[in-house]
Amino acid sequence: MTNPTTSEIIARCQELYDDLRFTSARDWKDAEPGRKVIAHMPIYVPRELIHAAGMLPLGIMGGGDNLEVIHGDAYYQSYICRIPRSTIELGLSGRLDFVDGMIFPSICDVIRNLSGMWKMLFPEVYVKYFDVPQTYDDDIGGTFYIGEMREFLTDLEALAGRKISDDDIRTSITVYNENRRAIAELYRLRAAKPWQAPASEAYLVMRAGLTLPVEDHTRLVHDYIAAAKAEKRPIKDNSRIILTGMFCEQPPLNLIKSLELSGCYVVDDDFMLVSRWLVGDVPTDGDPVYNLSQAFLHQSMSTAAKYEPDEAEKGQFLVRAVRDTGAEGVIFASTSFCDPALLDRPMLQNVLKAADIPYIAFKYSENSGQMQPIREQAGTFVDSIKLWSAA
Amino acid sequence: MTIAAGIDVGTGVVKAVIFKVENGTETWLSRANMRIRQRDPMELAREAFEQCLEDANLEERDIDYVATTGEGEAIPFHTGHFYSMTSHARGARFLNPEAVAILDCGALHGRAIITDERGKVLNYKMTSQCASGSGQFLENIARYLGIAQDEIGSLSLSADNPEEVSSICAVLAETDVINMVSRGITAPNILKGIHMSMANRLARLLKSIGAREGVIMMTGGLALDEGLCAAMREQLGKMKGVTAEVANHPDSIYAGAIGAALWGAFRAEKLAAAGHLLKAS
Repeated sequence: MTNPTTSEIIARCQELYDDLRFTSARDWKDAEPGRKVIAHMPIYVPRELIHAAGMLPLGIMGGGDNLEVIHGDAYYQSYICRIPRSTIELGLSGRLDFVDGMIFPSICDVIRNLSGMWKMLFPEVYVKYFDVPQTYDDDIGGTFYIGEMREFLTDLEALAGRKISDDDIRTSITVYNENRRAIAELYRLRAAKPWQAPASEAYLVMRAGLTLPVEDHTRLVHDYIAAAKAEKRPIKDNSRIILTGMFCEQPPLNLIKSLELSGCYVVDDDFMLVSRWLVGDVPTDGDPVYNLSQAFLHQSMSTAAKYEPDEAEKGQFLVRAVRDTGAEGVIFASTSFCDPALLDRPMLQNVLKAADIPYIAFKYSENSGQMQPIREQAGTFVDSIKLWSAA
Repeated sequence: MTIAAGIDVGTGVVKAVIFKVENGTETWLSRANMRIRQRDPMELAREAFEQCLEDANLEERDIDYVATTGEGEAIPFHTGHFYSMTSHARGARFLNPEAVAILDCGALHGRAIITDERGKVLNYKMTSQCASGSGQFLENIARYLGIAQDEIGSLSLSADNPEEVSSICAVLAETDVINMVSRGITAPNILKGIHMSMANRLARLLKSIGAREGVIMMTGGLALDEGLCAAMREQLGKMKGVTAEVANHPDSIYAGAIGAALWGAFRAEKLAAAGHLLKAS
C-alpha cells in the first residue's frame, strides 16, 4: 500500500477539524455496543485512564470560527472568553448528545464554573471537574493527584461496569507513549525544517489526535512525517518564531495560516497541551497511577498554564525553547480575557527582554475573522527581525 | 554582485523591478507594471517578473532573491516577503534620499510612514478601513463624471471654487458628488473638492506620526496625481508648525517594488555571509 500524500492526510484532518458533529467519534461509539465516549476540554487530562476503561477520549476545543453562538452568550458575561460559550452552544444544540462523560480540567475559574453548569444542564451525563495539583511536591501535590486519579478511576469503573486493572493502565500508557514519541518527532521535524511541515498542517494533524483513537492518530502522525519528508517544498526567507499563550481557546486556523503568510516559520508552540503536556515516556513498570502522577509533577511542559514557584525559573522555559529551536523571536498570542495567559504575559516578556529576545503580543478569539491587523503586526515583526536584528 | 527582483502586488496594479547591487552601488535594470482589471494578480506577477527578466536580459536562475510586498506573499516563487511600509520606506529613500517621511497612497489605503536615513520605519499610521481616501474611490468618481484618469490631476488644478466632500465615508462622499453634479458644480471643482478632502485626511495622518518638517515623499499609484500633490501642499501649509514639503518622482509608483528588491538584495547578501542558501530542500 502506498503512503498517503500530505494533501490527502491534511484533507482528512481538515474534515475532522470542520466536523462539529464529531461524526468519527459517533461512528466509533456505534461500531460496538456498550462503547462510551468521554469528552474533555483543553489543557490536560490523563487520557490513559479513559483509554484503559475501553472508552474514547474526545477533545472538545470549543466551536471554532464556524459555529454561531446563540444560546451560549446568555450564560456568560461579555468579559469572558469565547470557548465556554461555544462549548455550551455545542451542548445545547445536541452536537454532544452522544457523549457519556465530560471532563473539565483545572485551568481557570471560568472552566470550573462551566463544569457546574454542565451538571445542571445535562444531569444524565457524567461530569467531573478534574483538579490537578498546583504544588509540584511529591508529598503534597503527588499525594493529592494520586487521590484525584483514583477517584476518577472509580467513576470510570462505574461507567464501564468493570474493574480497570493496573495492566490495563500500563497498556494504555504504552500506547500513549508511542503517540507522544510520534508527536515529539513531528515537532522536531517542524523545528528543523519548518518549510517541510508548516504549522497550519502540523496543527491539523495534532487536532485530529483529539478526535481519533490514539492508535489511529499515532499512525497518522507517522504517515504525515513520512509524506512531509518526501515532499519537495521550497525554503523561504522567513523568520523562525515561537507561538505562546494558545493553550486553551484555540486560534482559528486562518490565524495560523496568516502568521505563516506574513513570513513566520513557527518552530514551537503551546497549542493543545492535552497531547504535549507530558514530556517523554511515562514508565510502564510499577504502579501506573503513581507513574502518571510523577510524570505530571516532574515531566511536564512549562507554560503560562503551569504554576512556577521559583521566581528565578519563571519564563526560562521560553528562553530555552528559543535556544533549542533556533527561534529568532516570540509571539505572545492569547485569547481575549484569558487570565492564565494574560496575567503571566508581562512576567514572561520581562524575561525575554532581559535575554534580548524580540517579541510581540496580540489577542484573538476562536472566531476572529479580521486577520489584517495580525498580518500587519506579524509582518512588521518579521521585517524587523530580518532587517535589523544582529543575526 | 547580487541581483534581486521586487514584486509589489497592489490592489489596482502589479509592479515588478530588477536591481543589481554591487559594492554598495544600486543599479535599476528593468521594470514592468500591469493593471489588474479583474485578472489574477498571481499570474500578472509572473508575467511582470518575466517581462523584467527579458528586458534585463537575465534568466530566472540569475536572480538571487525574489522579494514580494503588498499582497504578494502568496506568490509561489518568492524568496521572502516584506511588509508594504518596510518596502515603501526603502523605495522612497532610493528615489529621494532626502525623504524623511513617506505618504503611500494606493488604490485602497493611505499610509504615512516616518523613516530614518537607513530606510528603517520609525513610526507609521494607516487610514481606516473606508475607501473614501483611496485611489479606487477617485477612479470611481472619475468614471461617473466621464473623465479619463490621466485628466484628473490637470482638471483639479484648474478648479476655481472647490467644495470639500465627506472624508469619513465613501458612500457619503459619493452622495455629496451626486448632489454637486445636480447643483451644477463643475467637474474640476468636484475633483479638487475630493482632492482637498483626501489631502485633509492624509495631512492629519502625517501630523499624527510627527512628520512636520523635511521632505515628504509621495509613493503609490496616486503619487503622480498632481491635483492631489497640490492639495497636500495646501493642506500642510494650513497646519500650524508644519513646514514639510511634498515631493514625488516619475517612478513613485514603483517605490514598493524597488524597496522590496533592495531589501531582498540586502537579505541575499546577509544570508550568503551566514552560509545560508535558500534553495529548495
